[in-house]
Amino acid sequence: MREVRALIVDDSSVMRKIVERSLRQAGIESLVVHEAGSGTEGLTVLQSNAIDLILSDINMPSMDGLQFLAEIQSRNLAPGVPVVMITTESSEEHVKQAIRCGARGYIRKPFTAEQIKERILPLVQGA
Amino acid sequence: MLFNGVRHTGRATTAVEPQQERDPVMALSLRSSIDRISDPASLDEAVHEVFQLVLGAESAVEPPASGRHGESVTAVVGFGGILSGACVLQCSAHDAIAIASQMTGAAMKSVDDTVQDAIGEICNMVAGAWKGKVPELAAHCGLSVPAVISGRDYNLHVQAPEFLVHHGYAFTDLHFEVTIVCDGLR
Repeated sequence: MREVRALIVDDSSVMRKIVERSLRQAGIESLVVHEAGSGTEGLTVLQSNAIDLILSDINMPSMDGLQFLAEIQSRNLAPGVPVVMITTESSEEHVKQAIRCGARGYIRKPFTAEQIKERILPLVQGA
Repeated sequence: MLFNGVRHTGRATTAVEPQQERDPVMALSLRSSIDRISDPASLDEAVHEVFQLVLGAESAVEPPASGRHGESVTAVVGFGGILSGACVLQCSAHDAIAIASQMTGAAMKSVDDTVQDAIGEICNMVAGAWKGKVPELAAHCGLSVPAVISGRDYNLHVQAPEFLVHHGYAFTDLHFEVTIVCDGLR
């Protein structure tokens, strides 16, 4: 697997670090991480960086994860780049809404290392 | 007690009679499920799940502390929608620092932004896990972003809640308390 450039969007800096650590533990050794504290910051990162994987929280101030996802789609900022939502919101409605907006996966916090491995590695294996 | 900024999937939080016929969400009622929602076992399960997965530690239920002295940290995550209220997690500053250090893998020395962020996120996950135990809540109850308070000599007071679940927990030699307070139930 070549280098994976991941964008982690979460208003919690602690969660961003935990997600990054989990990606490395899942076997993505060559990982370049870009961090954003909101959807707005995430869009800025996408405008100036090539990204292979986007992991986003939903509940965030200023622009939430679903709005962020919708903006990515409408502006065509990351065509073909898999987006996985990582969030405490776990209802079927939230999952459906995320999938409708273009998410390729959904992981509920707190997550296990196995969940990260099973649901994210296949998305970047061809990277 | 009102909690602003609750993330919610677009449903009105104030009951308006004419809309109840049109909006299926408005027709939902949790009144008949109050025993299930207020079951303390749900909170215990949520806390155990979060501490097991995030910190790799088993937590045990213990009597809540009778009073808190010295500096403490309190995180609040509001509920909105079909249930309004909050999940409140409180611990001493010493224990908050220790929890944040375990979460991040970095030694913390004082209650800084990272410690507050960590305790807020733990509270957020407990709130999410707790509401996930009841399908109606999972679907129709939103969470606010966490608010974190730290300092000395403060109290949280809720007037006449619908129900309140308050438990103390311990893991390794650290102690914390979690309260689920419901001040409105549809």
